[in-house]
Amino acid sequence: MTLDWSVVWQHREALVAATGTTILLTIATMAIAVPCGLMVAALRLYAWAPVRTLATAYVELFRNLPLILVVFWAFYVLPIWTGLGLSPLATGLAALALNVTAYNAETFRAGLNSIRRGQVEAAMALGMSRTQALRRVIVPQALRRVLPVLASTWVSLFKDTSLVSVIAVTELAYVAMQVRAQTFRVLEMLTAMAAIYWLLGYPQAKLVDWIQRKYRVTE
Amino acid sequence: MDFSVITDHWRFLASGVLVTLALSALSGVTSIAAGFVVALARMYGPRWLRPIVILYIDSMRAIPVLVVLVWTFFALPIVGGITMAPFWAALVGLTVHLAAYSAEIFRAGIESVRPGQTRAALALGMSRAQILRRIVLPQAVVRMLPAFGSFLSVTIKDTAIASVIAVPEFMRQSETVQGQTFQPIEVYTFAMVVYFLLLFPVTRGVDLVYRRVAHLGRS
Repeated sequence: MTLDWSVVWQHREALVAATGTTILLTIATMAIAVPCGLMVAALRLYAWAPVRTLATAYVELFRNLPLILVVFWAFYVLPIWTGLGLSPLATGLAALALNVTAYNAETFRAGLNSIRRGQVEAAMALGMSRTQALRRVIVPQALRRVLPVLASTWVSLFKDTSLVSVIAVTELAYVAMQVRAQTFRVLEMLTAMAAIYWLLGYPQAKLVDWIQRKYRVTE
Repeated sequence: MDFSVITDHWRFLASGVLVTLALSALSGVTSIAAGFVVALARMYGPRWLRPIVILYIDSMRAIPVLVVLVWTFFALPIVGGITMAPFWAALVGLTVHLAAYSAEIFRAGIESVRPGQTRAALALGMSRAQILRRIVLPQAVVRMLPAFGSFLSVTIKDTAIASVIAVPEFMRQSETVQGQTFQPIEVYTFAMVVYFLLLFPVTRGVDLVYRRVAHLGRS
């Protein structure tokens, strides 16, 4: 077994750019999935009954599908449905956002439900409208409670971005495996890939632990 | 849409469903068993072992399962000289990854039983092993049920990622049929239905069982 780790250094620029894409995908997905998730949760809780059913169906469907299937589905079906020639990056982003929005919606729903009913009633007794009560009393408290869950969804999402490599999005997993295929330095590249994910993911996992300790709900 | 593509290849697709079920069941069992041992090592093991176990658990939380699977299949033969068929490599990779998660579920469950109970049992002259077996675990196991329900659903979803290392499970077989027939909408829609039908009863079933036995976990 002869190892040649210089291959990692030779491809450093591609790896750094790919790591950037991974981080960008994570941030962009969350930026879409938090407001959308909150909206879906609100629809599920307060909307007109048929809309409520639709929102529930969406959440249950996407929570019960493997992400890799959603990625393939988005890759082949979205262009046919929308008639748009989406880039792999946009397709991957769409698939991730569809998936994470469903999870976030469930998180927000649990968070909103966890605030006692009495608070809405009290707010309404003070003359606030339902929307006002929701916006000024319920949501601020619910957001604090869901923060730990959102944080662990974030870490899962960071790892799940690796799955869009199957549709040739040039993020870390895809680029590392491309270099592996071109240079045949299998062990070196795969280990470097794992190491980069570890270096980025480990502090995030530790941060999640800290957030969960800090925001733990005690009653 | 022409769903005859499904009926034409049903035998091929059904074999994939069987592999998915077998891989899910096997990796579910092995990772729960391994996770139990890991949790015990973390909580009651010798002092020098604990940081190693914690490093392992947090590393698995930081590295994507895709990376673990690819590493196990492509890099492990180079390092260890062990060549495994894709199915067994996937079983090993999934177990290594998921055991960390099940260990955390065990730990949370065991820690949720109030320490006063352990002290009371010690005062009554029970040994550590007896306390774990007769006092702590019977309550903890019930409390862990919902977490293991979602764990099982994650396990089934993660087996789809094994398609990347050519395990002939359902995701892989669907890709193959799609590649031969060029009917992505039909094939992937069917795959979505199948995965949903596999996953939805698991999550719902565990919830139902939990509701029946939840009172056994109270103390």
